[in-house]
Amino acid sequence: MTAAAVHAGGLADHIHPEPQGFVRRYVFSLDHKIIGIQYLITGFVFFMLSGLLAEAIRTQLLNPNGGFVAPQTYNEVYTIHGSAMVWLVVIPLLTGGFGNLVFPVQIGARDVAFPWLNMLSFWIFPVAGLMLFSSFLMGAPTAGWMEYPPISLQGAAGTSMWCAAIFLVGVSSTITGINFVVTILKMRAPGMTFTRMPLFVWGQFATAPLLMIATTALAAALAALFIEREFGVPFYDPTKGGSPVMWQHMFWFYSHPAVYIMILPGFGIISEVLPTFARKPIFGYKLIAFSSMAIALMGFMVWAHHMFTSGLAPFLQLPFMILTFAIGVPTGIKIFSWTATLWGGKIHYTTAMLFATGFVALFTIGGITGIFLAAIPFDLHVHGTYFIVAHLHYVLVGGSLMAIFAGMYYWFPKMSGRLMDERLGHLHFWLFFIGFNGTFIPMHWLGMLGMPREVATYDPQFTFWNRFETFSSYLMAISILIFFVNVIWSIRNGKRAGANPWGGRTLEWMVPSPPHYYNFKHIPTVYGLPYDFSQPLPYQGLDEELTDSPPPVAAGAH
Amino acid sequence: MVEDRAEPTRLGRGFWTATGVLAVLAVVSIVFWYEFPLESYLPAAIVTARQVDTLFRFMAATGSALWIFVAGYILYFSIAFGAKATDPPDAIGVQVHDSYKLEFWWTIIPSLFVVLLSIVSVRIWYEVMLEPQTGLVVQAIGHQFYFSFRYPEINGEVTNEMHLPVGVPVTLNLTSSDVIHGFWVPAMRLKNDTVPGLVTSIRFTPRLTGRYPIICTQFCGVLHSEMNKQILVIEPKPAFDKWYRLWQQKNAHVSNALPASGGQAIALQGGNIATGKQLFGQKCSACHKLAPFDQKLVGPGLLGVLHDPSHPNLVDGKAATPQDVAGILQSGFTGSMGTMPNAAANNLTPQDITDLVAFLNSLK
Repeated sequence: MTAAAVHAGGLADHIHPEPQGFVRRYVFSLDHKIIGIQYLITGFVFFMLSGLLAEAIRTQLLNPNGGFVAPQTYNEVYTIHGSAMVWLVVIPLLTGGFGNLVFPVQIGARDVAFPWLNMLSFWIFPVAGLMLFSSFLMGAPTAGWMEYPPISLQGAAGTSMWCAAIFLVGVSSTITGINFVVTILKMRAPGMTFTRMPLFVWGQFATAPLLMIATTALAAALAALFIEREFGVPFYDPTKGGSPVMWQHMFWFYSHPAVYIMILPGFGIISEVLPTFARKPIFGYKLIAFSSMAIALMGFMVWAHHMFTSGLAPFLQLPFMILTFAIGVPTGIKIFSWTATLWGGKIHYTTAMLFATGFVALFTIGGITGIFLAAIPFDLHVHGTYFIVAHLHYVLVGGSLMAIFAGMYYWFPKMSGRLMDERLGHLHFWLFFIGFNGTFIPMHWLGMLGMPREVATYDPQFTFWNRFETFSSYLMAISILIFFVNVIWSIRNGKRAGANPWGGRTLEWMVPSPPHYYNFKHIPTVYGLPYDFSQPLPYQGLDEELTDSPPPVAAGAH
Repeated sequence: MVEDRAEPTRLGRGFWTATGVLAVLAVVSIVFWYEFPLESYLPAAIVTARQVDTLFRFMAATGSALWIFVAGYILYFSIAFGAKATDPPDAIGVQVHDSYKLEFWWTIIPSLFVVLLSIVSVRIWYEVMLEPQTGLVVQAIGHQFYFSFRYPEINGEVTNEMHLPVGVPVTLNLTSSDVIHGFWVPAMRLKNDTVPGLVTSIRFTPRLTGRYPIICTQFCGVLHSEMNKQILVIEPKPAFDKWYRLWQQKNAHVSNALPASGGQAIALQGGNIATGKQLFGQKCSACHKLAPFDQKLVGPGLLGVLHDPSHPNLVDGKAATPQDVAGILQSGFTGSMGTMPNAAANNLTPQDITDLVAFLNSLK
């Protein structure tokens, strides 16, 4: 029992003893930090698997006639690559992973509101992941991560397994969403008002309702697809009176908000990393927080921009186009605020900072091409082509994945008590940055010139750029290998980090690394925003023994 | 709000130099996008293709100018404000929290840009959608793994190439016999999905002769990748007419029956008028009156749909033929007059359709 002292403060200080035994502590744990780490480990394992699938895709496309794998196998490979990256990697890493790991500490809570639900939500996730990958054994789905019927009705038996797996991940997401909303609403430390919450918490707070609300539409669509495939009840088959377009509506009613599920927590990570390493308050705190909420709300009103070619009534399309343009405004505000945060800073180029600044530059490209795609006449040209592939990877890799890497380098010391190696980190960043741009920039013009997506073979006129992309993607693979080596090596051999290696000012840096079970000896009282480097730390009542750690930078500066 | 401590918050000379450099780069990128010879990489085969290019140039120019400023400032700030080895370890940056003026402008200017972009896009969208409705009507039907084409006076289907005369407006009606395909001609900068059970249409006017690939853009099965071999041939009117006559002769004895799902064909002759009348009462009269066109229920009145010259044209700006009516009954209808479910949804067999066509044909 490390943190059993009882203090005034009632419920918040009611602490159960730390569980004993490996299984209760590390396997079926109720501790949000352990669950967060479990999510990260599982997510990165799936990341490695679907990354291998990505390299298989690129290897197939070395030659215009393919030849690396059979077309049927190729279709299975990119379908599982897309599905796994979205549902088993990016969403769980950013919400279940970093969300669990960091935000309860940041709001001064001892745990999430429903620890048992949290454990349930985690344990559904690896099971669903194994189900998804096991669909390879029975003929994996081939129609891409969107699985449009009627083609998905013709898919092999694995398509039903896919439905079940994604349905389960959705259940896990929904539970996490409920848990996070309640935690943020009810469990903030005294004085932690909404306008004093760290921006990562705002990111999670904007995301959690999306997880709760949007995922239910996907669940309904998946259940219908499963029932139609297995029991023949026609929901989508037009020859039996179903509507294939209904699937598209329900799928995108989830999957557009899902884009924000995959990026808003990333925005949160960036908004923590930038001020810490620029030694400056985040620029425009309120607008950044507010724009996250605006993006989350507007994210529900733009789904049909994925369906401009699906035969919607023309005048129905216009509001979706204009609302999509309008989402550019809150997104732009964030980008400008991050850029302004750098001005006048004392910038420390840690690997986390490199990934954060790289994120701003690359995500901006994905955001701008998103505006291109919202413009209906241009979308009617490039919809369903490699231009889309380029756009979505700039958002999900240049955006979300860069944020995940930034978060890993930033919070790894908090998880493990040790720093990751910075030289390997820099190498990882530069190889990744070059490889990523080399892989995805040419896709823009390939798409515009006539290369459709989801193809196993292509017109020989595109050979040069496809080879260029494939070799660049190998560079990315090497960089990620370096990352994994760095993580594994640093767990045992990294330099000891102490409580606050970066001079961060949010609450997680005020407790030892790794934090005690139940996080705080005393729940602190919060007096202000965490980003005022010239002010004393805005916390009182913290009574931690921060041995072997230097004092927080700014406290010394005062 | 500016904190008392640390350096003043004036923007230094370096900032303005950087801004000048970035402005020059932004102008260069704008000029680049407006000068870039897009059409030498991808010909503009139809009239509106150039409008789409105009929209692209506008967005690419403004977008890359914006990106140059964002990325350029990040790069400049990173270099100019990097912590130096000589700085004390607790050195902090300029403690600026926000600037309401700056935030006001970077909310307002993008908002105004959204309005501008909306106006530009809607105008071009309008031109793409507003292509004339008269002219040649062609139907493209998606199959695993090819498109087939139907022309008004050619029996049966044309399955290898699609020919169109240059300068003649075309209405292309799209549907599918199996799964969703995407009908895309990159040189047209235009595509639409072919959705089973729906008929959607795109309208355009070819402007440049040539041979352009037709590519499927929705995953449609194991050979989806190979569904890019067909060609759209845009040719001068005389050459088109020659091709057209050739196919008329070639297909003169081909049945014009529409293939129904499940492989049954729909005959257009020999339907039973009495059965058709009965079916109309059961299946159609909930939405259609046997009255002149303007007496609408859900759909238009159908009295004289095939014979009354004053009956507005249901299909593609031309008087409807029995084949058109059978097609609507089979595949459903989506258009300015609303949406009608297909045969499967209405539970109509091919024989029912034959009878209904005979009945409607009998209404003078």
